[in-house]
Amino acid sequence: MIFNECMMKNSIRSIAKPLCTAFCALVLASCGVSKVVIEGSYPSPNVAKLPLSLAVVYDEPLRNFSYIEYSETGAEEFNIASGASHVALFDAVLPAMFESVVEAVSLEEAESLGVDAIFVPAIDEFQLALPNKTKLDVYEVWIRYNMRLVSGDGAPIADWVLTSYGKTPTESLRTADAAINDAAVVALRDLASSFSLSFAQVPEVRDWLASR
Amino acid sequence: MKALLPLLVVLLASCTSTTVDEFRQGETGINSDESIVILGRRHSSDYETRAEFVDCVGERMTTGNDSISVIPEKEFVDAMFPWFEPRTAPLRTQDLERLMAEPVVAEKMAEFGVRYMVWLDGFTETSGRTGTISCTVGPGGAGCFGFGSWEDDSTFDARVWDVASLQNVGTISTDASGQSYLPALVIPIPLIARVEANACVRLADQLKQFVNGE
Repeated sequence: MIFNECMMKNSIRSIAKPLCTAFCALVLASCGVSKVVIEGSYPSPNVAKLPLSLAVVYDEPLRNFSYIEYSETGAEEFNIASGASHVALFDAVLPAMFESVVEAVSLEEAESLGVDAIFVPAIDEFQLALPNKTKLDVYEVWIRYNMRLVSGDGAPIADWVLTSYGKTPTESLRTADAAINDAAVVALRDLASSFSLSFAQVPEVRDWLASR
Repeated sequence: MKALLPLLVVLLASCTSTTVDEFRQGETGINSDESIVILGRRHSSDYETRAEFVDCVGERMTTGNDSISVIPEKEFVDAMFPWFEPRTAPLRTQDLERLMAEPVVAEKMAEFGVRYMVWLDGFTETSGRTGTISCTVGPGGAGCFGFGSWEDDSTFDARVWDVASLQNVGTISTDASGQSYLPALVIPIPLIARVEANACVRLADQLKQFVNGE
């Protein structure tokens, strides 16, 4: 009888340990940060090509850009990685806007390529608005960029700010991760549309194009 | 029979009432080699026309008698990128006229064979949520008890632009409302009023007649 009780205790312990581990892992996972990698497809813009050869430099902060949204208690809630998506977006947009586009790893390398201009995009600020904080039925993403254009030999041409905005309504059966992704993709498309339509209208760029 | 009476009353009450108004400003008609495109308005800050509703109206117009060729919204917006994004889309026919002056836009529009552009603008609002339902799970089983109800109201406008004349040829408005109920006696029985679906069907049917010039 004593032997049986011992066996039962050992058996309960052997089951309880993995169960407790699994439960703790589940609790920790549910409290942890949710990683959202922005994924979307971006069409090429239908705009008249500028007769320019361009080198583009995607620096490390842009390539690895991620934004962390904190909860009201200060805990990390969402980690939104959008660097790769920004690179994919510019890769779709730039070849449609310029006669030729090459990618360079650094400004120094770009200057050695003998191109007409070098473009260096950067993300200045990223903001996320969640329905549980704004009390609105939409997820919103707002991004501010710093666009820099220098001549082929590195002389500054233009340095301007662009903002983009995207929103997506809340829907039942759609996760917050999916809604954030959709809002960010709308914001990225907004960037592509305003960049491709306003590039030649930036006063410094317009003057530089006129002087060529 | 008497026991079923309250359920029957609730079933009847969960029906939807739909009103459709048409305002014609010009002659319409479409050839078999021409198409229409239906686009949702998404520039407002507090709501946006759901893509699912736009698809629903488009699919309905491509079926049945006098069906019309409809270009899917995403295909059109992607092909016309960046001219029909929320911030760049034309809000008035004068804007469309300016847009058509762009050779790339006019060329793509001709490729698609677009005769009419339909702008859908609206949303469905849920209000008047009342009642409570509580569910319990125990070793012997699970069950819910209670009653909930709410009202849905769908309001959509469809503005029809003639791409050939660059004129607004008419507007069709639809307003649908309905009460939904959710009684729960062990299991919840949803009696959902298909408000948005009814608005879609009525609007699409009216739009089809309008474009065909009937």
